[in-house]
Amino acid sequence: MANDVGSIPDLVQKKHDVGEVVKIICLGDSAVGKSKLMERFLMDEYRPQQMSTYALTLYHHQTTIGNKNVVVDFWDTAGQERFQSMHPSYYHKAHACIMVFDVQRKITYKNLYNWYKELREYRPEIPCCVVANKIDADLKMAQRSFNFGKKHGLPLYYVSAADGTNVVKMFRDMIKKALDYKQNPRDFIDEVLQELENFDLEKKEENSEADEDGLKTESPEFV
Amino acid sequence: MSFEAKRCGVQFNPPSIVLLYVHTDTKKMRKRIIPVRSFSKYSDCSLAAENLKNHPRHRDYLDRVSQSQLEKLHIILRDHLQGFSLEHSLASFQLNADEDLNKLDDEILARKKGQMDKLFEMNKKHKDDPDFVYDLEVDFGKKSQEKCSWDEESDDGF
Ligand SMILES: Nc1nc2c(ncn2[C@@H]2O[C@H](COP(=O)(O)OP(=O)(O)O)[C@@H](O)[C@H]2O)c(=O)[nH]1
Ligand SMILES: [Mg+2]
Repeated sequence: MANDVGSIPDLVQKKHDVGEVVKIICLGDSAVGKSKLMERFLMDEYRPQQMSTYALTLYHHQTTIGNKNVVVDFWDTAGQERFQSMHPSYYHKAHACIMVFDVQRKITYKNLYNWYKELREYRPEIPCCVVANKIDADLKMAQRSFNFGKKHGLPLYYVSAADGTNVVKMFRDMIKKALDYKQNPRDFIDEVLQELENFDLEKKEENSEADEDGLKTESPEFV
Repeated sequence: MSFEAKRCGVQFNPPSIVLLYVHTDTKKMRKRIIPVRSFSKYSDCSLAAENLKNHPRHRDYLDRVSQSQLEKLHIILRDHLQGFSLEHSLASFQLNADEDLNKLDDEILARKKGQMDKLFEMNKKHKDDPDFVYDLEVDFGKKSQEKCSWDEESDDGF
């Protein structure tokens, strides 16, 4: 198995004591309310860590799901959305994605298509949801069905970072899905990477011939 | 004696903030011109607004003018010093649902967000409100749903 405990180095082991660590990313146009949603969910815990050189903001959140401790690293953009594209490291090892649009601005809904396309280039399988934010501004929009989510099989949440409607529910659901994904990954590429990491540890000395093709045939259960 | 601010605006030469107010005793409309001092195209508008709001000679007149409005007026004055037209300044505060905000620089984006904040603050539930619910859930039900017109043109992916 890919996550054979014996082969996980010490450092990772320690992290596991704190709880499972998952990474959740936020996507969407400028000013749709991504940061306000984080703020509303985290409340007093809201202590963003600005990484201005990378135009991103990180938030750490500790919680329990079932009886498991979970540490969530939320990644929020801080202006990188301007390029309508994110740096690959933003997507790297993400376990779930929250995609937000503003119900007052159609263009932000239409742009979901581009965000989603980019997400799937890097993370073909991670759980993702569509969030219709600012419904306090126009309650009628909560009575509208939006095709985008349906078409791609993504759950849709009608939320408001202002009055709090469905914000916590959406985040809790996504943390659960991220955790579930981490424990049962479906992205083949993750497995290959993990295999490679383990491989490195075990066979440092050997001049391994483990090219990608070789690994692919070794772990068919993940395909 | 108190004053009721009615309208405010700017004057570019010399850079000043103009206030129309009513004297509550006499009910007379008056105009007050407040020159902004030591203000340059590099000044911090938020700080300038705060200083003016607390200024001993002006604060009573400005009691009903919000600090964010004073900040906006300072921004218009500063834009002018930077060579921007009044139209540019006013447009930068305007929200237009069709505009692609991804294309804006930080400064103008912040102005748009400032405009959005008015509604946000109005609708915001604070955590010390008696009826605040942290994990507020609302089920909007699927039965009464109509299709959103945004989906009408059948683009790729929608
Ligand atoms: N009415 C309303 N306004 C919101 C809501 N969420 C965000 N906003 C407004 O939208 C602006 C942009 O939000 P922000 O979180 O900075 O967007 P981001 O660029 O996606 O991170 C904020 O300044 C708020 O004024 C909401 O739920 N309701
Ligand atoms: Mg933001």
